Amino acid sequence: MACRFRQYVLRHFHLLPILTSCYNSVMKSDAYKISLTEIFLTFAKIGITGFGGGMAIVAMVERVCVHEKNWITSEEFMHGLAFGQILGPFSLNVCTFTGHHLRGIRGGILAAAGFLLPSFLLVSLLSWVYFTYNKLPQLQAALKGTNPVIIGLIVVVAIDMGRKQIKGSNGALMAAVAFCAAVFFKLNAAWILLGAALWSLCSSYYRRRFT
Amino acid sequence: MASLLMIAWTFFRIGLIFVGGGYVLIPLLNHIMVEQYHWLTLRQFLDGLALSQLTPGPLAILATFTGFRAGGFPGALVATICIFLPCITLMLIVGRNYDRLKKIDIIGSTLDGLLPAVVGLVAAAAWQLGVSSLSGLKDFLILAIGFAIFKWTKTTPMVVILGAGIIGFFIN
Repeated sequence: MACRFRQYVLRHFHLLPILTSCYNSVMKSDAYKISLTEIFLTFAKIGITGFGGGMAIVAMVERVCVHEKNWITSEEFMHGLAFGQILGPFSLNVCTFTGHHLRGIRGGILAAAGFLLPSFLLVSLLSWVYFTYNKLPQLQAALKGTNPVIIGLIVVVAIDMGRKQIKGSNGALMAAVAFCAAVFFKLNAAWILLGAALWSLCSSYYRRRFT
Repeated sequence: MASLLMIAWTFFRIGLIFVGGGYVLIPLLNHIMVEQYHWLTLRQFLDGLALSQLTPGPLAILATFTGFRAGGFPGALVATICIFLPCITLMLIVGRNYDRLKKIDIIGSTLDGLLPAVVGLVAAAAWQLGVSSLSGLKDFLILAIGFAIFKWTKTTPMVVILGAGIIGFFIN
């Protein structure tokens, strides 16, 4: 009896350390569940200051959610960015994806709403001004100053992502090809990613089959 | 003024078909708003475009402007919600199934394999923005300062961008 018990323990409980660490991480993420208000406010802040649109937003979300708050891993975030090319603006899509990652559907909707609300209010206000006075307020001077800083931010994010995700010469080649395809051939990002996905699919299939 | 239902339906359809970040949207919206429904004149359309690019939101926020013209504030609200409804729904579905998708081996490794291309695209965005908007020593100086701040400090981007906006307001 004792012997069988020992066998049972040995067979099943060598997993114990792994199980406890899983349990701990689950409990921990539960205990520190990010509040919906915080999600909304964080993305609203991004929505207020994310001048430059598109990649500038992506760079800001990456900086805030991956590096500052550790809400999502760099890899998951980039998967979200890749999926975000499917339909609609990817800046909005990474917000929705990150929000959903944190708190499910409600989180996703609040992140998207938080991100869009400042722009919506601003455009509504400016539209009203425009259709009443037929003139645009001169915001451009201030915005001209933010442009270079935003480019700086995007460069930093590209470097950080590259350090983490480009391993080996194949990855570097793919990054270079994607860069050239976008810059010199003006290909749409969705097509570039589709091509990269096909290439990566074929190469992982090939590796599995022949090695 | 167009009815709210019609605005909703129009923008929802646009939301269903636009792919790839937004610039596809310009000819599409131009066709629908200016030529088909006459909600805007061409001049107004271009001003609206400039205006929506002043804001942080995606280019599709142009829907707010057009909706405002077509139906006042309620029109703007309805248009904005409807144009973004399809892509938000899609991302929620993707997010919901993300863990399951990633566990399927072939999908997981494909996703990981395409990440370098994402990096290339981010770098390309920086390049394109740089080519189209940087001019003169002043801009490059601000760029270098911004780069250094982001690279070697943990400052949150909002503070830096607001600061740059204030500086830009005074030096331009």
